[in-house]
Amino acid sequence: MSDPILHVSRLRKSFGALTATDDVDLTLHPGEIHALIGPNGAGKSTLIKQIVGELRQDAGQIRFEGQRIDRLDAAARARLGLARSFQVSSVIADFTVLQNVVLAVQGASGASFRFLRPVLKDPALTEPALFHIRQAGLSERTDTPAAALSHGERRKLEIAMALALRPRAFLLDEPMAGMGAEGARTLVALLSDLRTEAPILLVEHDMDAVFALADRVSVLVYGRIVATGTVDEIRADPEVRRSYLGGDDA
Amino acid sequence: MSRAGTVNAALLAVLIGGAIAAHLAGELFVVTLATKAAIFALAGVGLNFALGYGGLISFGHAAFFGLGGYVTGILASHAMSGEPLTTLPYTMNGTNEMLAIWPMAMLVCGLAALAIGALSLRTSGVYFIMVTLAFAQMIYWFAVGWPRYGGEDGLSFYVRNVFPGVNSMQPLTWFAICTGLLLLALVFTATVMRARFGLALQAARRNPQRTVAVGIRPFGIRLTAFVLSAMITGLAGSLYADLNRFVSPAMLNWHMSGEIMVFVILGGVGRLTGPVAGAMLFVAMEHLLGGVSEYWPALLGLVLLGIVLFAPGGIVGILTGGRRRV
Amino acid sequence: MLIFEQFLNGLQYGMTLFLMAAGLTLVFGVMGLINLAHGSLYMIGAFACAAVAQATGSFWLGVGASLAAAAAAGALIELAVIRRLYHRDHLDQVLATFALILIASEGTRWVFGSFPLYLSLPPSLSGTVSLGGLVYPSFRLAVIGLGLAIAVFLFWLMRGTRLGIRIRAGEADREMIGALGVDIRSLYTVVFALGAGLAGLAGALVGAVQSVQVGMGEPVLILAFVVIVIGGIGSIGGALAGALLVGMTDTLGRALLPAALATIMPQASATAVAASLASMLVYILMAAVLVWRPTGLFGVRG
Repeated sequence: MSDPILHVSRLRKSFGALTATDDVDLTLHPGEIHALIGPNGAGKSTLIKQIVGELRQDAGQIRFEGQRIDRLDAAARARLGLARSFQVSSVIADFTVLQNVVLAVQGASGASFRFLRPVLKDPALTEPALFHIRQAGLSERTDTPAAALSHGERRKLEIAMALALRPRAFLLDEPMAGMGAEGARTLVALLSDLRTEAPILLVEHDMDAVFALADRVSVLVYGRIVATGTVDEIRADPEVRRSYLGGDDA
Repeated sequence: MSRAGTVNAALLAVLIGGAIAAHLAGELFVVTLATKAAIFALAGVGLNFALGYGGLISFGHAAFFGLGGYVTGILASHAMSGEPLTTLPYTMNGTNEMLAIWPMAMLVCGLAALAIGALSLRTSGVYFIMVTLAFAQMIYWFAVGWPRYGGEDGLSFYVRNVFPGVNSMQPLTWFAICTGLLLLALVFTATVMRARFGLALQAARRNPQRTVAVGIRPFGIRLTAFVLSAMITGLAGSLYADLNRFVSPAMLNWHMSGEIMVFVILGGVGRLTGPVAGAMLFVAMEHLLGGVSEYWPALLGLVLLGIVLFAPGGIVGILTGGRRRV
Repeated sequence: MLIFEQFLNGLQYGMTLFLMAAGLTLVFGVMGLINLAHGSLYMIGAFACAAVAQATGSFWLGVGASLAAAAAAGALIELAVIRRLYHRDHLDQVLATFALILIASEGTRWVFGSFPLYLSLPPSLSGTVSLGGLVYPSFRLAVIGLGLAIAVFLFWLMRGTRLGIRIRAGEADREMIGALGVDIRSLYTVVFALGAGLAGLAGALVGAVQSVQVGMGEPVLILAFVVIVIGGIGSIGGALAGALLVGMTDTLGRALLPAALATIMPQASATAVAASLASMLVYILMAAVLVWRPTGLFGVRG
């Protein structure tokens, strides 16, 4: 197997007596979708926050394309190409779709200290932005304020912003949350295309989406990875069925 | 033209047209009032840069207004006495050239804002408000306690500083100089807010977490905005000193910080010409109500309270029918 | 001996700052509100004390009146204005309470005029006490004692009473005390009036040794902010520690800096520099705390 893009090893994080991340090992390889599932309170959010740099781990390492990133701040990690989407859609509500994506292009370019040229007249920003808006299927909403988008459209905007970061890896935190059946189907198709851009670490509750998309699945329970394997292996794993899937024919 | 653009143009037309009309009618005092409004508006444009667009609620902008004033007063008084400002490391003389004084005032304010901002931006929310207020108060006490330049009594310089080619003592000329700088500051603000820096600044206000996630660190952006904001307000302070040919610690007092904030809020936060509307209303109220009752600040308080509680978009918000942007 | 006297002065100054800061920090912590008009309540307390003491001849009735008048004024503005601001952003709170200052200051000027009023202390407090060689004004000692007693009272109130438990629950989670069936609106009014009463008391105590005039609350308000930034928002212990630190730094700085500077520069310029530097000292202290612990000595991180 090729070298992993993202390599989390022996990561630990405690809050007082509670161990939220307990010796977690996790890899993300080129071209794959690796799903992270687990019951509420299993520590998925805490793990994501450590990977993106919002929380500092107590012990362990995070490598990104071979380089240690666990001491960099969140902005530096984003610029290396670690693109994330948020659990609750977190776009800038009174910016238009275009302004939101332009902001991401600008962030990736690393040049925010320019004071004169209007961003919307700068092809170096708008051309990539329009391209990613098209990629995410939002072309008709380019000039709509993000606040006026539907829930599904906001999800797409998040993905367009992630694409604009010229990502080396995606970290998508529950992209399916709150989507209707129809919206979920288009989003699954979009995510499936996305893997050709960069591998995806997918935190998701929607089992249909996970089983449709993921190449590998890891199950997190009480801060520990209790199983990692292909979709079929995970479906068959008795411990996973007991601790998480609850014996349902999920 | 958009409705906001129309309101912007109309407000400036009222200010400029009013001053010219007053000049023609021989009402020189009204020209001076309009000049005062333009200077206060400039101070407000400075604060709006950080507060309206960057969400940085500075309650310490009197520090920069006053510093700009003191730089002006000190340079002018040295120019008058002929005594050098300092002889170490090399001789530095005072000056009465506005074109030399303005950059100096802005430089001093920029450096002060760099220090105050670097400390204050380690905090956020109410802490930021209190810390900026406290640092401004520190400079206030310093000015009160430092006898060299008048201490509590302030510092007078009897002749307005000079601007090449014109007579700055002529009221309409002086109004034109101040309003010209106000227009420049408005154009500068509008330009910057449409450029990359402005996009990042506004994004960091609206959603800092998202801004970080696209690889932009808010701290440097905010600090730069704070410094630029202070420089604009400092320039206004320099003009205000020249308007009165007098500076005193009152320019550094926290009431001044509150008033600069009032210019911004009366007009409408985060709107380009909000401070222009706010400063015009403030100066008009001060003049009209001040004549009716010596307790006019209480009436100002009631108006302010009414606007905060019932019309949070300010005057420009009422005129454009839009909701406030912060 | 000089140092000991200045130490007591610093302690006394710190205690009056604590009375101011305690109410402010409670209102921040519980209601999330920044109240600039706290200085006006201090002023109202001082004026109430002066007016009642003058009318009745009793300083003690005046002190009682300062508490009552400031608490009543606090409750009144809470009901009329402040409670509309809890769900607003800090900018609105700053502006509305700034407006309240303008109204309160001009209103007081209208009633009492612009001239300062002076209070005379009762005979029992106007004398001095001998403390092992140091002769010290007994009123100042009484202020220290009263400040300590109120600190103890507040700790007991917060830790040991139902009201305190509700207040702390409110700090932790505003939704929760609603769910517990506590009437938040009246709880907030009580907390606000309590803080206002303490500010009014501080105004009366300071007014008794200095003078009572419009605007007297403003420098104290800003120092109380410095106290809170140093101590950490919402913490009574932090307010006490911050107040004593600020009181000591300011008092000892003013007392000791001129002599200290005179050793390295000529006497005349040392006095001038020392005066300016001493007035900046507490802010330098605040800057140091900000570098070291941006959320204050007792503040919660984050």
